[in-house]
Amino acid sequence: MTQHHPERRQAYDEPLWWALFSAGGVCFALFVPSAALFLALLLPAGLLPADALSHERASSLLFGLPGLIFVGATICLPLFHAAHRIRHGLFDLTLGSDGTNKWLMYGAAALLSALALGVVLLGMLR
Amino acid sequence: MHKPPRAHPPLPRNWWLKHRFFIAYMAREATVLPLVFFIVCLLAGTLALSRGPDAWQGWIGFMGSPPVVALNALALVASLYHAWTFFQLFPRVMPLRLGDRSVPASLMVAGQWAGVLAVLLLFVWVFGRA
Repeated sequence: MTQHHPERRQAYDEPLWWALFSAGGVCFALFVPSAALFLALLLPAGLLPADALSHERASSLLFGLPGLIFVGATICLPLFHAAHRIRHGLFDLTLGSDGTNKWLMYGAAALLSALALGVVLLGMLR
Repeated sequence: MHKPPRAHPPLPRNWWLKHRFFIAYMAREATVLPLVFFIVCLLAGTLALSRGPDAWQGWIGFMGSPPVVALNALALVASLYHAWTFFQLFPRVMPLRLGDRSVPASLMVAGQWAGVLAVLLLFVWVFGRA
């Protein structure tokens, strides 16, 4: 027999997801506007100085400590912010089960974060 | 074994369409969808950069295609909307006091926008020259 203890359902790992969600929210607000403006609008429109993001200069910027901070602030933390919100959005729409959604969302965020950090770390070793 | 009775009847899936406030809430939650698109673009960019100059130029070309520009412009607007709502939370969640005077909420919101401006100036400094 399984006893139901609704009051004990509070997950012990929730503070971790909340911390990542909040940190990601700060990054979403502070860093994403500038990153989107420069890399998604000005760069493809050719409005940056010609060699500002040549392969050589972009590599020297990304494959170093500034690049590691950039990836953390514009990829990893915002990913966990998005994962948390999508998880709760799915709950609000009663889609799927929260137990599965939780691992799918945070798992995808962790996987993509590891990939992004891995690319930068490998680039630093070259 | 029988299931314990539900304490509440299940909510219909469209509950949030029934009030302006809940629609605004869901719209705010949905601002992360263009954000996810932009993040995946950035991730593709880091991979392209590591693969060489041709892949990097290819990525810049991809970023310039109209649907990608449109979605990323939406991500930019979403990030500013998120910032606007997020910055108003800070003084409510964590009111600051200096001595025995509390820091006005408007000042704390302005301080956070100054942070956005500082990051923008940093980007201008880094990317505004060759």
